Order: sequence, then structure tokens, then C-alpha cells
Amino acid sequence: MALPKYFRLARILLAHEIRGLLASKALWAMLLALAPLVGYSFVQAVSLFAEASKSAVEFPELARGMTPLDGILVPTLGAFYLAVTLLFPFVAIRAIGQDKQTGAAKLVAQFPVGTVTLLVVKTLAVGAAWCLAALPALSAVAIWALLGGHLYAPEWLNLVLGHALYGFAITGIAFFAAAIADSVATAAIVALAFTLGFWVLDFAAGNVQASWLQALSQMSLTAALRQFEHGLFSLPHALEAASIGGTLILAAGVWLVAGRTLPRKIGLTIALAILLAALLAAAGQAGVYHDVSEDRRNSFAPADSVALARMDKGLTITLYLSPDDSRFKDIEANVLGKLRRQVPRLTVRLGEAGRVGLYGSSGDDRYGLVVYEYAGKREESRSSDPREILPILHGLAGTTVVPTETPSYPGYPLVADASVWGGWFYLGLPLLILLFWWRCHRPARPNFEKEKP
Amino acid sequence: MIKAAALLEVRSFTKRYGDAEVLAGVDFDLRPGEILGIIGPNGAGKTTLMECLTGLLPADAGEVWVHGELLPPARRREAMFYLPDGIAPWSDQLVWRVTGLFRELHGFDSAREAVVVGRLELSPVLDKRVAELSKGYRRRLLLALALLTPQPILILDEPFDGFDLRQTLHVMDLLREVAIDRALILSIHQLKDAERICDRLLLLDGGRRLGFGTMGELASQAGAARADLEEVFLGLT
Repeated sequence: MALPKYFRLARILLAHEIRGLLASKALWAMLLALAPLVGYSFVQAVSLFAEASKSAVEFPELARGMTPLDGILVPTLGAFYLAVTLLFPFVAIRAIGQDKQTGAAKLVAQFPVGTVTLLVVKTLAVGAAWCLAALPALSAVAIWALLGGHLYAPEWLNLVLGHALYGFAITGIAFFAAAIADSVATAAIVALAFTLGFWVLDFAAGNVQASWLQALSQMSLTAALRQFEHGLFSLPHALEAASIGGTLILAAGVWLVAGRTLPRKIGLTIALAILLAALLAAAGQAGVYHDVSEDRRNSFAPADSVALARMDKGLTITLYLSPDDSRFKDIEANVLGKLRRQVPRLTVRLGEAGRVGLYGSSGDDRYGLVVYEYAGKREESRSSDPREILPILHGLAGTTVVPTETPSYPGYPLVADASVWGGWFYLGLPLLILLFWWRCHRPARPNFEKEKP
Repeated sequence: MIKAAALLEVRSFTKRYGDAEVLAGVDFDLRPGEILGIIGPNGAGKTTLMECLTGLLPADAGEVWVHGELLPPARRREAMFYLPDGIAPWSDQLVWRVTGLFRELHGFDSAREAVVVGRLELSPVLDKRVAELSKGYRRRLLLALALLTPQPILILDEPFDGFDLRQTLHVMDLLREVAIDRALILSIHQLKDAERICDRLLLLDGGRRLGFGTMGELASQAGAARADLEEVFLGLT
């Protein structure tokens, strides 16, 4: 097919798919639910941020802890995340499930375009629906700026990218569920089983110490989104979400191609599952991270980072700590997470030590110890503070790091009141949504009589 | 591989669901400008035959030749368009949007769409949603969609279902006009309707071809030269 004709057909189908989504009650119901949900989260977040800012504006040390990313953006988009997890699958499922349920799929299968084109068009249409759903959250960001709040573009653009990738993966799950299920209702159950399964996985990984479960939980979509919420652009997690979304959309295509036998569909789906496993394994090796947070929370100082990147002889860290211990969580957040991204060959393992007792003692003298081994040398420490641990690591590597002066993060406390904007989210935006729905519901049609020859 | 043949030749179509054979080596052909009726009792395999023919269902065996060229299932939509029975596609879209979609997709102009809409008397319901249409109007809309496709072979499953006698006769007239340019395969439940409109008939029962030919040929096959289709049907099934 010639390229101009291909794009003409794709444009016609895209317009058709968008019209279909705009005609669906699921989309409008989601938008109506989203506006107050996002609004409530935003107003509450601003209120809490303002409370904390009251003392922070007087004390610079406290002000450094006031980050709009954690205080405003993540909680506001958290409501959006909830809607995308629980409501958006219904919108995306409709793009395929409705055709199957009404018999339109038999007509669509005879359209002069291939299944891949149809899926690309449907994905773009669902992407447009996602953009519509993101508007309340984006309006909250705009209001924050209007209130005088600070925004650091790389931080919030990275956060939006994380949510977009999450939405793409959810779209893949919804498409696949709709393609294999007989009805829209069954597809919804399958899709929610997937999305809620990620929550269960995260919960289980936080409470069960099995290493395979920990590794599996790292591949959960919520874990991937968390990286972006922490101000980190993580290529492995971005590729992971894109691979899950893309492969599941392709798997949906396997089930939608007319005239294919069931054994062949199952065989191709298994092949795609193997491909997905390979893609996820490859994504984990991508090793590209960018700390886009303004306070550089995900990185050590530049001079330390350069020195750590040169430690290529295999650093092993053994922790005699329970994963439930707050010290373990501290060292994981402040040191190990950063080292994993910067040290080329890092092994972290848990040493055998008795579990922590009721009052913090396990009865084992080694409990609380962290052992660092590198190039035949060994050091021990009980600290979780990077200011103590980094000199140990540089000592093991035999390097001397001269600290360079970097501007410290000032923090952006703001005493503001967003409650007046509640009207926008609880009344104005829902009214606008209803107005838009009404406009889309009965569009004016061209007059055939005038066009008759 | 080129064969001198009619517009469409179907050879040895076979389809099984588990142990049940729903099509057992069915053969037939279709000539240009012809209206071919597929008749048979419920469960005869009429719909399965049409869906296998168009590649929507995988057949276990069989060949489809169009203009003497063997067409694999993936390419059959180039030559034929199949309109299933009992569907209500894009039920929350407006009627004029749905007809407009087919017009645009197949590159027809608005005048062609207006003629089809006019002939099927769809004008009063253009601003309604598909879900709001009565059974008769929905059937007319589906016929309009079929007429807004360019394939040389049109396959319609129960095209007169939902119409009263006057409407049926009107649609028959329209289909005869369509058959000037395109060949039609119609699955028809009502034998009187089939007798009125079809040039040749394919009689199926239990997935087997019990008869194929003109009304006269079928009557001879049934051993009752002056019989009508109902008598032929009862005689052969």
C-alpha cells in the first residue's frame, strides 16, 4: 500500500476510534471521578505543604526538606495513578472489547488495513483519552505555579513521563485482556487482576524475604513508577514498562487476527511471553540513569560518583541486618540504591544473623554490621550515613577524593491556600467535562441533500 | 497459478469443531453478475461456510479461486465483503458517522453515500445512534455499509431478516441493481425469498452439499420437475 494512502486510512480510523472513545460512558465517568479526586489530593497536599512551610520559611535547614516534587506533585498525580490503575483499563478495554461484543470486529477484520495498523490506531486513540484524563492533574500543576509554587521542569516532566509509560503498560494489559476475553466484563476482571496483582506483589515483597519475590517485585509497574516519583529517570524501568505495554499489545493482535486457529494463537502468545522475558532481562542491563531531581537525592557528589564509577574490580557488601530493620531501609535508600547505579560490579547480600529482637537486639554481636570487600581488602562499619561510608569505599579503592563545592538545595517552602481552587475541581472542571460531553454527544452532520449531484 | 474459471470457485471446503464436521468438502462457483443463494435448515453450515470463505474463520481444508487466482485467507478481503447477521456495530455512534466511515475508508464520494442512504431510506435516522435503531433500520444500515464497499463479491447473511414483505421486495430490487456490477452470495432462511431473487442455489444440510444449480436443475435433482423450492427443499433434505 502506498504511504499516502496508508496514512489517509490510518487518519480515518484514528478519528473513528477517538469518536468511539468520546461516545463511551466509561471515559466520561472516569473524567468526572478524576476531577474531584485529583482536586482533593491537590488541595490537601498544598495544605500540608503550607503547614510544614510555616516553620521552614524561618529555618533554612528545615526549608531544605521542602520539595514540591514530594510535597505536591507526587501526591497530586497519585490520585491520577489510582484512576489509571482502577478506571483507565475500562476505557482501554472498550477500544477492543466493544468491537468484539457488538460484532463490529467482523467488519473491522475486513477493513483495508492490517491488524498492526489497527492496534497502533487504537493505542493512539487510548493515548488521547489518557491525555484527557491527565488534564485535571496538569491543571493542578498550573495552579501550583499560579500560587507561586516552585516547579523544576526536569522533575515534573520526568514524573509525567513515568505516568505516561505506566499508562502505556496498562493499555497493553487492557488490550490483551479484551482480546482474550469473551466479554467486556470478563476483560475488566482480567485487567484488574493484572493491575491489582502488582500491588499484591509489592506488598508481598515488602513482607516476605524471599529473594525471587524481591527480584520479581522490582519488575512491577508500580516499582517502575516509583523511580520516576523519586526524581530518577531510569532507562531500565522505562524499557520495562514499554516492553510490557508493547508486547501485550502485540499479543492482543495475535488474538484479533481473523482466521487464526486456537493452537496457533496460543503458540504465538507463548513466543511473545518468552520475548517479553528476554526484553525484561535486557532492560535490566540497560544501566542508564539520570538523576533529574533538583536536590540530587539520587546521586552522590560528582567527585564521589566519578571515583565510584572506576571501582570495577567487584565490590561486595554484606549486611548483617534484617530487611525489616529501619537501618536497613536507611542504608538502602541513602547508599545502596545509588551504588547500584554507579558501581559497575556490585554484589549486595544479606549475612546470616539472628533477627532483630523486640528492643533492637538480636543476641548476635554481628547484627547491625555492614562489611565492605573490594580487591582483597575488607572494611566494616555500622553506619548508614553516606558521609561515613563513602570514605570507607574510597579507602578500599585506594583513591583520594577531593570534595568539590556544589550549591546546596535551598528547598522551596510555600505558605499558600489552595482551598479556593476546590471550586475548579469540584464544580468548574466537572461542568466543563459535561459541556464537552454534550458537545461531543450530538455533533452537526453535513447535509447529504446539498451534496447530491 | 492461473486457472480459467468463473468469478469465484470454492473447492472442497471442510471445517470441523472437534469431532463434529460442520462443512464436508463443499464445492460451488459464482459467475459475474450472479446472485447465489445458500439455503438449508438451521445448523446446515451456511454461516460457517461464509465465514470460512472470507477468511474470518480458519477452514480445515479447501481452496478459494477468484478470477482464476488462488486466494489465501489473508487476501480474501480484497475480493469479497461479508456482512454477518445479528450484529449491531458501533452502537453508540451516530448513523451518519458509521456510513461516513465506510465511505471514507473505501474512497467513495459523498454523492455515492447519499445515493445509498437515499435508496435504503435511512435519512430519517441519520442523526440517531445505532443502538436507537429498530431492527429494520439497523438491517438497512448494515446493507448500506455493504453497498459502501468496493469488493466484486458481496456476501450477505440473512439480508431480508427484519424486513416486512414490501421492504423485502424493495431490497431485492436494490440487490438486483447491485448485481449488475457485483456478484452476490446470500444466505436466506425464507425459501420464498430465495426463489424470488437467486439465480442459482446451493442447498446445504449437515455441512454437506445436497444440491447446487438453478431452480430447474434442483427440481430435476429432486425428481419433481414442476416443484417449487419448498418442495425441492423437503425432497432433498
